[in-house]
Amino acid sequence: MIPLLQAQAPATSFWSEAFNSSELWTKLIITLVVGLVVMVGLLYAPIRARKPIIAFFTFISGAYWVLLYLWPKPIDRQPGEMPLNTVETVSFWLADSNNVVVSFTQILTGFLLGLGIFSLLKIHLTKITKGHKDAFFSIVLLVSMGLMIWFGYADWFDRLGERGAMLDNRDNWGFTQYGRDFLFEGLLQQMDAAMFSVIAFYILSAAYRAFRVRSVEATILLSAALLVLLSLMGAVSFVWDENVKSIANGNPFILNFQLTEVAQWIRNTFQTSSIRGIQFGVGLGALAMGLRLWLSLEKPGSGS
Amino acid sequence: MMPLSQVYIGDQYRDTGWFGVFMTLLVAAFVLLNIRRARGGKDLYIRRIAGLNAIDEAIGRATEMGKPVLMVPGLSDTINAIAVQAVNIFAYVSRIAARFANPILLCCYNAAVYTYAQETIRDVYQSEGVADRYDPDSVRFVSDRQFAFAAGVSGLILREQTAATFFLGEFYAESLIFAETANSIGAIQVASSTETTQTPFFIAACDYVLIGDEFYAASAYLTRQPVLVGSLVGQDWSKLMIILMIILGTLFNTVQIQGKTTWERTKGVWSQIPERSVKQSDTFMSQLFKPQLEKVKVERPIDPNYVPEKGAGE
Repeated sequence: MIPLLQAQAPATSFWSEAFNSSELWTKLIITLVVGLVVMVGLLYAPIRARKPIIAFFTFISGAYWVLLYLWPKPIDRQPGEMPLNTVETVSFWLADSNNVVVSFTQILTGFLLGLGIFSLLKIHLTKITKGHKDAFFSIVLLVSMGLMIWFGYADWFDRLGERGAMLDNRDNWGFTQYGRDFLFEGLLQQMDAAMFSVIAFYILSAAYRAFRVRSVEATILLSAALLVLLSLMGAVSFVWDENVKSIANGNPFILNFQLTEVAQWIRNTFQTSSIRGIQFGVGLGALAMGLRLWLSLEKPGSGS
Repeated sequence: MMPLSQVYIGDQYRDTGWFGVFMTLLVAAFVLLNIRRARGGKDLYIRRIAGLNAIDEAIGRATEMGKPVLMVPGLSDTINAIAVQAVNIFAYVSRIAARFANPILLCCYNAAVYTYAQETIRDVYQSEGVADRYDPDSVRFVSDRQFAFAAGVSGLILREQTAATFFLGEFYAESLIFAETANSIGAIQVASSTETTQTPFFIAACDYVLIGDEFYAASAYLTRQPVLVGSLVGQDWSKLMIILMIILGTLFNTVQIQGKTTWERTKGVWSQIPERSVKQSDTFMSQLFKPQLEKVKVERPIDPNYVPEKGAGE
């Protein structure tokens, strides 16, 4: 493994201060003040000025990742080591900042999740108050959401407290832990599994429609799928392959017609190369899109 | 110990590691150059994409039936290029729907995508001069759990009896649940997933599928904006470069693999060996794409304030 990936941020780096230290609090307060100033500034900025402000922040944020990718990464960096020169000072700083910068996204997502919950509440409370015909489902959803939040947080607080370690043993569980377990493991996980298993039946119906002989393409698809399916059936592939071997009598060309060989050829020659081709296209598209977003060449809603 | 001059090189540039970085920069240069060309008024050609022509047909059908158009911008964990592109296409769909006063439903898996989509769709209605037709509840956050989201969207499809559905973005196992549910009520479906494992499911179940980078080409195709068209042509140049490299690689490997060698390169260092047949790892292309990094030791001073984390070095 590359040593850089194993490196830990030293306790004294710019990005990490000791727990409850005055430096940590100073940085937290400065960050909060700067964040609030930016937020208020954006709210009161003239509409014409918003675009360049957003473009500026987008460019700065993107430049960080471009720099992280292009700037020479330290070779064989071990925890606690100090940089040898300016180039390494910058690369150490960039590498140490990575976890902090990534957590910015999580903080933003945390704020935005509140907006998501607001959207859910607004839609379903409106349905309930207006007596919509599906209001019952809205009640179920809101009650489930409320219960899950309450039991989740109550259990989390219990585990943070003095009894936290004891709660790993089921014998020490109380009402909160049983409630959370019932809602999460007993209901949610099971319903997730049920939804997932529905896919098996959908695959069948979709495959039936897709593999009907309607055109040349569908026939080719059907034949290829049939061969691959049969090759995965042990008894069928065994009988087929043994028959081919007896007919071939050691002829290497005829041996190519063993079912497992044909299926492998379809996978390696057609499937893998097609998938790689698609992945090249998707990767290039994402890179071009990222470049346009970074340089603010892409306007929001530019599809219209 | 490594000489100080080599420490500057950077881990990612060692051996042939620089090649990947160079190729990325070359692709970026192609895209930017073509954006410049397109902005300069150069007429650039884009081929016909059937799935995108079907968008107008699908909305027209929904308008005739008086039923909503449902859109899902995938299950991106955060707001990324894929989600932005999906919302960009939905902005076009919403514009057409707004013109015909057709109801829309845009279901989001991620709260960040939800806020972005809400702003974008509201702007679309405002720019069309029909802000009063915009229903804030038409863009909604459903759930950020995969199968809860799948159940929620499937329920909406069945209850609202949507006439047209657009599934564009990052989709995983739930793709077939959406597509088959919409198919069961006879909705016309346009879909695309950047996940190659899900594309076959969409092909099996949907009417039109945008495969691979057609998803990224959609905005350029629909709007013909110079920036987007130029970017698309830049991608095509990059693809040509990749094709050229595949052809050259095949030729190089085919020729090289036939021969014998008395040299072997291990961890970036050449050494003489008894004559043997050339292996795959000896070929020029293999060595170009697989940097061989020798283990080096760089001695640096230790930070006097450094306190090892508990368990470190165990």
